Amino acid sequence: MTAVLTADWLLADTLAPHVEGDALAPLYDGAARGELVLPFCASCDLPLDLDQQVCDGCGAAEIAWRASARTGVIHSLTLMHRREPGLVVATEPYPILDVELDGGHRLIMTTCVPPASLPRIGDRVTVAFRELGGVMIPSAVLDPTTPSATEARS
Amino acid sequence: MTTDVAIVGLGMTAMSLQPGRVPQDLAREAVGLALADAGLTHADVDGLLVGSSQGVRPDRLGVAFAAQGGFGDLRLLEHVEIKGATTIAMVQRAQLAIATGAARTVVCVFADAPLVEGKGAGSTYAHSGGQSGVRGLERASGVLGSVPTYALLAQRWMHVTGASVDDLCAMTTTTRAWALGNPAAVVRTPLDAEGYLASPLIAEPLRRLDCARPVNGAVAVIVSGDTTAGHAARIRVRGSGREHPVRHRRAGAESWFGGGRRAVDDALAEAGMARSDLDLAELYDPFSVVTLMLLEEYGLTGGRTAGDFVRSGETGPGGSLPTNTGGGQLSGFYLQGMTPLAEAVIQLRGDGGDRQVVGATTALVGGIGGRVDHHAALVLERAA
Repeated sequence: MTAVLTADWLLADTLAPHVEGDALAPLYDGAARGELVLPFCASCDLPLDLDQQVCDGCGAAEIAWRASARTGVIHSLTLMHRREPGLVVATEPYPILDVELDGGHRLIMTTCVPPASLPRIGDRVTVAFRELGGVMIPSAVLDPTTPSATEARS
Repeated sequence: MTTDVAIVGLGMTAMSLQPGRVPQDLAREAVGLALADAGLTHADVDGLLVGSSQGVRPDRLGVAFAAQGGFGDLRLLEHVEIKGATTIAMVQRAQLAIATGAARTVVCVFADAPLVEGKGAGSTYAHSGGQSGVRGLERASGVLGSVPTYALLAQRWMHVTGASVDDLCAMTTTTRAWALGNPAAVVRTPLDAEGYLASPLIAEPLRRLDCARPVNGAVAVIVSGDTTAGHAARIRVRGSGREHPVRHRRAGAESWFGGGRRAVDDALAEAGMARSDLDLAELYDPFSVVTLMLLEEYGLTGGRTAGDFVRSGETGPGGSLPTNTGGGQLSGFYLQGMTPLAEAVIQLRGDGGDRQVVGATTALVGGIGGRVDHHAALVLERAA
């Protein structure tokens, strides 16, 4: 068994996204500058899915990738217990969050560092970045002052 | 005038938890068994629809199987691909082709062999998906395999509806109760709540026992408009429906679930039936939470919550809507939409043995694909 070389707390470098020519290159380029760059419709400003080509609101095909707010609320989350050998270097279960950003997008991410305690749906987070194999990946910073489970059932 | 279209042949390989055999070989065996079951030969077939899962294997089953499988000239040949909903959509495709005269007797075959030497199924799925596009970003965030995405779905759905882990437990143990009577099920030991809670967590709230059991195997069905051919028990395709809800990942609406009911409404409308006419529900259940969600989404619980419906025994043996009567994909075997389809045919023929639902003549069969992005439904009825 060879040791997995990585700087990340969670994953092996081999999982680093292939950035060059990738459909999400604007996101990775922005992340390298410390910005959360996401796609919006250039015509009506609707937040679009990361791989969306045409706006479902107005039909425009021009996409504007621009910096968006690095704050949001947890829409869903899981604690991943299965840790695939060779891919996951963390020794404890790790969080996966689906964050609803204040700019309107929903983005899946883990946390920048191993969390001391698990947050809950409705908790607020800030988005920062962790480095995986030279690529900056949007990742959550949990706000320790957030009261837990503030979102009412809908 | 409507054409009498029916499933007249069924062939199933053993459902293996062991690596070995390629999809083409499994498909060949299943097709041979289906033809023998129907009393037909390759010469009677003028349509072939093939399905296979994407991603895990490069040597997936494709249209080359027409030549590989020994078929002659065909009038219909397609590789159908809408992810997990494929197999149900194949039967619908065959139904429509036969109804319009484009084909007469159509073989539908699905083969999959995700289990490979040296790796468990979970490991195989964890290593697939690549490093580009949206999936590349998700994997760089720790979303390995399909369990964590369905765990996010489960957490959100439970948060919104108030469903609980007790409901997941009830769904899983009830489905296991059905598997006890199915010789083809890969797990046939009784399961209670204590046993369920002893199962290791994979991604909260999903435990190993909340997840389907992938197998290497194949199933073929033969759909025909020839009322003189085939198995003595004709299982008529009375209705079919689809819905492909397009959800976006943005604030304002749910992203993980919602939609699909129209597939069931349309299938029932074509059949001239109501939900109360259904004797069985055979649903796609890759995870326990999906069955619960679909029971509600498809309007099968009479307005009750799925958890209440399942915990009171309605989906189990002796219940009002026996569901996933072969143990489903959780305890039976995961061969995508062929799992619910094959079980419906077995039950409607009266061949269910220890798990037979007495007097069952109608069934709803459902398939889903992607992240519950595709829904395909069939209403089947045993010909009188």
